[in-house]
Amino acid sequence: MDHPPDEKAVQTVNKKFVGGAVLAVATMLTLASCGSGSSTGTQGGGETKAAEGGQVTLKMVAADYGDGPGAANSGEGFWKSVVDEFQKANPNIKVEVQVINWNDIDKQVATMVQNGQPPDILQTGDYSGFVKDGLLHKVEEIVSPNVQQDLLTKFADFGKVDGTSYGLPFVSSARALFYNKELFEKAGITEAPKTWDELKAAAEKLKASGVSQPFGLPLGQEEAQGESFLWMLGNGGGYKDASGKWAINSAQNVETFQYIKGLVDAGLTTPNPGTKDRKTVWEDFAAGKVGMANGGPMSIPIFDKGAVKDKYGVVAIPGKTGPLDTTLGVMDWIMAFNKNNHGEEIKKFFDFFYTGPAAEKIVDLYKLLPVTNGGIQKLSGDEKLKPFLDALPNASFYPFQDPKWSDVNTQIKQTIGGAVSGDPAAVLGELQKVAEAG
Amino acid sequence: MKKWEPLAWVGPAVLLIAAVVIWPVVEMIRSSFLEISRFGVVRGSAGTANYVKLFGERVFGDVMVRSVIWVVAVVALTVLISLALAQLFNQKFPGRKVARWALIAPWAASVLMTAIVFRWMLDPEVGIINVIRWDLGTFVQNTFGIEPSSLGLLSAMGGEAADQLGHASTSFPWLIFVAVFVSVPFTTYALLAGLATIPADVYEAARMDGAGKFRTYWSITLPLLRPALTVAALINVMNVFNSFPIIWAMTKGGPEYDTTTTTIFMYILKGANIGESAAMSVVNFGMVIVLTLIFLRVSRWKQEVA
Repeated sequence: MDHPPDEKAVQTVNKKFVGGAVLAVATMLTLASCGSGSSTGTQGGGETKAAEGGQVTLKMVAADYGDGPGAANSGEGFWKSVVDEFQKANPNIKVEVQVINWNDIDKQVATMVQNGQPPDILQTGDYSGFVKDGLLHKVEEIVSPNVQQDLLTKFADFGKVDGTSYGLPFVSSARALFYNKELFEKAGITEAPKTWDELKAAAEKLKASGVSQPFGLPLGQEEAQGESFLWMLGNGGGYKDASGKWAINSAQNVETFQYIKGLVDAGLTTPNPGTKDRKTVWEDFAAGKVGMANGGPMSIPIFDKGAVKDKYGVVAIPGKTGPLDTTLGVMDWIMAFNKNNHGEEIKKFFDFFYTGPAAEKIVDLYKLLPVTNGGIQKLSGDEKLKPFLDALPNASFYPFQDPKWSDVNTQIKQTIGGAVSGDPAAVLGELQKVAEAG
Repeated sequence: MKKWEPLAWVGPAVLLIAAVVIWPVVEMIRSSFLEISRFGVVRGSAGTANYVKLFGERVFGDVMVRSVIWVVAVVALTVLISLALAQLFNQKFPGRKVARWALIAPWAASVLMTAIVFRWMLDPEVGIINVIRWDLGTFVQNTFGIEPSSLGLLSAMGGEAADQLGHASTSFPWLIFVAVFVSVPFTTYALLAGLATIPADVYEAARMDGAGKFRTYWSITLPLLRPALTVAALINVMNVFNSFPIIWAMTKGGPEYDTTTTTIFMYILKGANIGESAAMSVVNFGMVIVLTLIFLRVSRWKQEVA
C-alpha cells in the first residue's frame, strides 16, 4: 500500500532534478559503451583470467551462521577475515561476499539465478536443485584432489548426483535434546526423558509447574524439515524407506505425528508450532521459557548468551521406545556456478578455505562440526562437542541427492505444521504426492 | 503531415507504456504457458499444464475467496474510517496542524517495517500487546475475580491464547487491521482534498433551505465528494489486492496456507514452479481487472454529479 505521492510534489521534484536526470542518462550511456567495449574484448581474446594479469571478481553468497548483521559473530565479519587473507595471497582475485540469513537465502538465490545472475560461489543448505539445469561446476573442477580425498566419504557421497559430485560438504552438524535443568528441578523431574512416554510425562510436569512451553517445537518455515525428521527417526521412520523410495506418509510417520499432535493439543509444546521458527524457539529456550528443545552445537552459543547459561543439559533425543541411536546429520554445502567460467579462481579460493585455518575457524566460531578427517582429528579433544562428534558417523541425512528434494523441502516447510493441527495422514499424504509427482 | 503531429507528442508516452506495462504483461502471459525450472531455465512449452496444476491445487479456491474478503474488508474499513477522519480534520480545532501531521506517520513509515513492528508487539512470550493483555488480565482477576480469558485477556504469557498470529482466526483480523492502519492516511488526505473543493455557498444554500446536518452530509458532501472517493477507493482496491509485505512479514501466509492471498500464493509457488506462479499472476491480473470493473460499475463513475 505504498501510495503514489501527490502529483504536485512529483512535479516540483521533477523540475529540481531534471539536470540530474540528464546527467544520469549521460552516465548510463557512457557506462553502456564501456560495457560493450569490454565484451568485444572478451570475444577477441578469450576469458580474462587472473593469470593474465586481469582482475577477477568472484561473487559469493553465503548463509549467516551467526546472530545476524552487526553481531560480533556475524557472517559478514567471518567472511571478511577469510577474504582479506585470501586476497593478500591472491592479489588478482577479488571476492565479494554477500551474507544472507537462512530464512531468505533460498528465495534470494533462486531470484538471482532466475534473473540470470547467479553468484560464482554459493554456500547454503542444498545444492541438488541446481544440478538438473546444469548450472554447477563439477567438484573436480573446483578443488584439488588432496582436498577432495580428505572429505569424509559418507558426506562427500551425498554431494553426488548420478555418480558425479557437484556439492562440496561445507560444515556439518548433529542434533541432541537440550533441557533446562532449573525448570526440570522446579517441576520435580529427576532425569532427562529417554522415551516418548517419559517425554510426555516430563512435559506435563513442566506445564503444571508453570512453564509456558514445556517442549519447544519449531515446525515453521525455517527448519520444519529438520525438526520433523528428528521425530520421524524416533519411530523408525524417515522421508524415504530402506529401499530408497519416498515414504513420507508411512504408518510410522503418521503415528509419529499423531503423537506430536497429542502433545500440541494438550498445550505441552510451543503454541501453533507450524508458525514458529527454530530461531524463536531457541531464543525462548535461552530466555528460560522452554523446558526442552532439540538443538545442535550451534545453539550452544545462543543458550550461553541467555539466562540459561550453565543451567542446561544435553542428551540423546528420545525415541518412541528409547533414545535415538542415530541423529540428524545436517550438512551444508558450498558449490560453484559455471555461468561466469571462473573455475580456476574458485579452485584457488576453495583450496585456501579447506587447507588453511578458515575451515577450522568456522567450526570453532559457530560450534559446527567439520567435514574432513583432518578437521575431526583436530577437534577430538573438545569434551563439549564429543557427544556430537560421536553421533556423526551414525548420522541419518535428508535425501539431498534426490532432485525432488527441493520441491518436497519447500512444501514441507509450508505445510507440515498442519500435520499437528489437522489430520496427520492427510498432510503427510499430500507431501508424499509432491514427492512422487513428475 | 499535420495529421501526424500529435503522434510526436504522445509517441514517447505510448512507447513508455508499451515498454513498462504492456511488455511485462505479455511476458507474464507467455511464461504461464512455459515449463520453467525452479531456477528460471526454460525447458519448453507446457501448454495449459501450469493452469491445470494451479486450478487443481487443494488450496486454490480458498486463496481466491480469501483474497476477495481481504480486499473488501480492508478497503471498506479504510474508506469508512477515512471519511470520518477527513470530516474531523476538515474542522478547525486547536492542534489541527499537529494532528494532520501525525496522521502521515503510518504512511511515511515503510510498510514492511510497520508489519514487523506489529509482529513483535504480538509475540506470545514478550510482545507488548500481550504484556498489556496479561497485566490487565491479572488486574481484573485480582480485583474483580473475573476469569481473564472471558474478557479476551491473558492469565499467562506464552500459551496458545497469547499467540494471536499462530491462528488464522485471530491473525487475519490483525493483518486487516495493519493494512487499514497503513492505508488510512493516503485515503484521508485524498478525501480531505476532495472536501476542500466543495464550495461553501452550496452549504450556505442548504442551510437556507433548512437542511439538517445529516441531510447536508448525505445530499451534498457525499455526492460532491464522489470523484475523490472513487479514485481513493480504486487505488486502494488495487494496492490491497496486490499487497504483499504485511502478510509476508507477519504470518508468511501461514499456518499452512491459512492467511495466504493470491499475491502470497504466487510468491510461494515461485519457490517450486515458476510457470505455475506465472499462471497465478495471470489469474491475479485478471482478478484485479474484474474487481476494478465491478467497482467502477457500482460507483457509476462516469455519471456526472448534477
